[in-house]
Amino acid sequence: MIRPLASLLCLGLAASMAASAAGPRVVALPSKSPLVTIRLVFTTGSASDPAAKPGLANLTGAMLGESGTRDLTYKQIVDALYPMATTVHVYSDKEMTTFVGQTHVDNLDRFYGLMRDMILHPGWRDDDFARVRDNTVNALRVSLRGNNDEELGKEELYNLIYSGHPYGHENLGTAAALAGMTVGDLQGFYKAHYTQANLIIGLAGGYPASFAARVTKDFSALPAGQPDSVTLPAPAGIARNQLTIVAKDTRSVAWSFGLPIEVKRGDPDFASLLVAQSYLGQHRLSSGVLFSRMRELRGLNYGDYAYIEYFPRGMFALEPEPNIARRQQIFQIWIRPVEPANAGFALRAAAFELNKLIEKGMSQADFDRTKTFLSKYVNVLTKSKSEELGYAIDSAYYGIPAYGDYLKAALSKLTVEDVNRALKKHLRADRLQLVAIAKDAVALRTALTSGDPTPVTYVTAKPQEVLDEDKIIERLPLGLRAEDVKIVPVEEVFEK
Amino acid sequence: MRLTGFTPAASVLCLCAAVASSAFAAGKIFPYNYVQEDLPNGLRLITIPTDYRNIVALYIVVGAGSRNEVEPGKSGFAHLFEHLMFRGTAEYSAERYQQELSSAGAASNAFTTSDFTAYHTTFSKEDLPRILSMEADRFQHLSVDEAAYKTETRAVLGEFNKNSANPQQKLYEVMRATAFRAHTYRHTTMGFLEDVEAMPNEYEYSREFYSRYYRPEYTTIIVVGDVEAKKVRSLVDERWGVWKRGDYKPQIPAEPPQDGPRTANIDWPSPTLPFVEVAYRGPAFADESPETAALDATARLLFDHSAPLYQKLVINEQKLDSLNAGPPDNLDPELFGAIARVKKESDVPQVTKEIIAAIEEFAAKPVDAKTLEALKQHVRYEFVLRMSNSEAIAESVARFVALRRTPEAINRYFDFYAKLTPQDLQRVARQYLTEKNRTVVTLATKAVTK
Repeated sequence: MIRPLASLLCLGLAASMAASAAGPRVVALPSKSPLVTIRLVFTTGSASDPAAKPGLANLTGAMLGESGTRDLTYKQIVDALYPMATTVHVYSDKEMTTFVGQTHVDNLDRFYGLMRDMILHPGWRDDDFARVRDNTVNALRVSLRGNNDEELGKEELYNLIYSGHPYGHENLGTAAALAGMTVGDLQGFYKAHYTQANLIIGLAGGYPASFAARVTKDFSALPAGQPDSVTLPAPAGIARNQLTIVAKDTRSVAWSFGLPIEVKRGDPDFASLLVAQSYLGQHRLSSGVLFSRMRELRGLNYGDYAYIEYFPRGMFALEPEPNIARRQQIFQIWIRPVEPANAGFALRAAAFELNKLIEKGMSQADFDRTKTFLSKYVNVLTKSKSEELGYAIDSAYYGIPAYGDYLKAALSKLTVEDVNRALKKHLRADRLQLVAIAKDAVALRTALTSGDPTPVTYVTAKPQEVLDEDKIIERLPLGLRAEDVKIVPVEEVFEK
Repeated sequence: MRLTGFTPAASVLCLCAAVASSAFAAGKIFPYNYVQEDLPNGLRLITIPTDYRNIVALYIVVGAGSRNEVEPGKSGFAHLFEHLMFRGTAEYSAERYQQELSSAGAASNAFTTSDFTAYHTTFSKEDLPRILSMEADRFQHLSVDEAAYKTETRAVLGEFNKNSANPQQKLYEVMRATAFRAHTYRHTTMGFLEDVEAMPNEYEYSREFYSRYYRPEYTTIIVVGDVEAKKVRSLVDERWGVWKRGDYKPQIPAEPPQDGPRTANIDWPSPTLPFVEVAYRGPAFADESPETAALDATARLLFDHSAPLYQKLVINEQKLDSLNAGPPDNLDPELFGAIARVKKESDVPQVTKEIIAAIEEFAAKPVDAKTLEALKQHVRYEFVLRMSNSEAIAESVARFVALRRTPEAINRYFDFYAKLTPQDLQRVARQYLTEKNRTVVTLATKAVTK
């Protein structure tokens, strides 16, 4: 067993993130695998961005992970990593910035040395900075805003719900703020936030017995610091449904909507809402009510899902990436692109199912099945050592046992009454932020505020019970007045 | 235990290799013991026990992809079928099927490529019998009525719609339609939009498609994880042994040799950075000769992050923000392509010239041996690192199984890779990466000046 220099969190033993600044914490999952995963998680992110510099945390992380070190140019690093077939992958969210690398144990020494120097001894070269900043602006303007309507809608939803809040800007920042950033800004952020107090060292696989102590010692060169302690106010309340339509020349209409919830991993109602979310719309599986009623029964689109934790890049990933833990979360429904003629109906259909679930609750049979699913599905989430390690780090952050143990224990005590009570307590369908990406924004606004029904068109006959339900859905009150709808040209999104 | 009474496996291969602690220890690159068995009806079963506990990954590979869509107006049916397979049977309605998957805690999905369709499910080991049983049922007894069929065609249109916001999808479509004129690789797995829109009227054809390809001789079952091969075999015998063999063989049109360079340009309706793709007509996948390995090596040496061209255009001059390449690895001759995302539209012509010039230089001058050795090391470690869990192993195996129906193709392919010489790379580049075989497609918000 490894003896760390500071505290050791090993195999499900959890500790609170409120621990003292006594040095980096270590989460260790040693095994016999020839693959070794290193996850270095700094508990800092865009919530710690200065108000005038949105995107600084992300750009600092990207600069470290995609640039040269004090001694090596980026080209030399790329060349050195190449024979090992590995890279340092970096990603940054509101409260965490994560550097992750996986290597064969043959190459552990060389790989770790490079990864360590990228974080402890960055090169801060101007040409690296120009490239990394350009990449970030392009990721914002082109990859997200230009080419991915679904992710654009999901990200805008978060930014609207958290307007005026430390979570209320895109992690990547704004084009204007990025244009004004300097290497000095990044160095300042690095000095203040890349501290021992903010670091969790995660190790998994067949590394040597002395390795954890070596890593801990190396990273003790960082300033001791204090943990990031950004105060998070409650998100502003939503008095009634609010709709933002991002006007963009695109073929179909992408929808996302949701509301803030006071529940995160470790909270008493987490398991209840997880069961409800899974039943309503388990990500990318065909089992959810939304998928079943909207796609399978009606053929409205490619899929419809629900979330109680942040899940970026869901169109590319079947399971969530760990280490994007947050102190505040939202409930969200994602409606994949629909034909413009059915846009209003699709929104109402999702709201209808949400309403129905809140009002009627889950049945005992649905509850039992979903509970069984989740208690087994957790094994799928942690199927690789890298993922298991990521979840263990998140558990340390939330102050809970290993996620599988935590969830199974919480589910074992749960009753259908708990879930149905939590649904009524935390969710509602009349105080939502709604976001659409649509070509004809004015027509969509008119359709949803006129009070007229928004009927669906089918290519095939439907059973009478479906048509009867459609009559209710197409007139489902959304409570939207013209003044509740904002139209934003896509060119303005993420600019300032 | 064989309940259906058919004869034992026609052939059983038990291929063993020690799991090496070093990726470079002697032996085959695929480190797992596996059992490969053929049932008398033509179904193939590959079982791979691993040390990853509790979890089983099941891949069912059907050797039918968009390549098999031979009739005009019928593009996209392999992919549509991937959807229809979740629509239920007499025994397991779609709803019951999903309930069973849920109670198994299973992650289940499917995907379609040019050459094959794969159905994959990852779940706890105790649920293997019922999952194999349910899968046997839907592969043999799918029952989709016309109304459900039509509804599913709209979900496929929805998938087309969600892809349509991405200009790379359009680039992909136009490249294929430009580079191919006869072969079914001319269309994407999604199919032509007009064919997708017409799908609701093709119910009878969908039944024909199922009858042709959802047959044991087209299908390979791959089971990876916390399993015993004998028990898996007896479960498969029980429910899959009675599946009837078919006799359909598609006549896939051969693509005539390309008669000269081709170009196309796409006007994209909304703001984007421009793209350029430079592609060459390549060969079919080969594990009996070095061509595929050589073109993979060529793509990496020319376009990976450490390549001189990448360093010049992305890192130093910063004219591009991405540069990627893909070598051909399909059943029939495919494209070798490189895609660049260009920061300024005015740089597109120059970037195109530089990509072509780098390819020509590669064919003219052999790569140095040290660079090639570093690449070989990279490729070997990359493969080993990918084997990080049972699901990942199953997916890697499935891609080779789709080509040769055996994990041994992995070993054969990597053996050729290990033996590549600079002269092999040069010879293959001179053979395929020629002006006559080239197609260039550009995409920009407005027309790119040529």
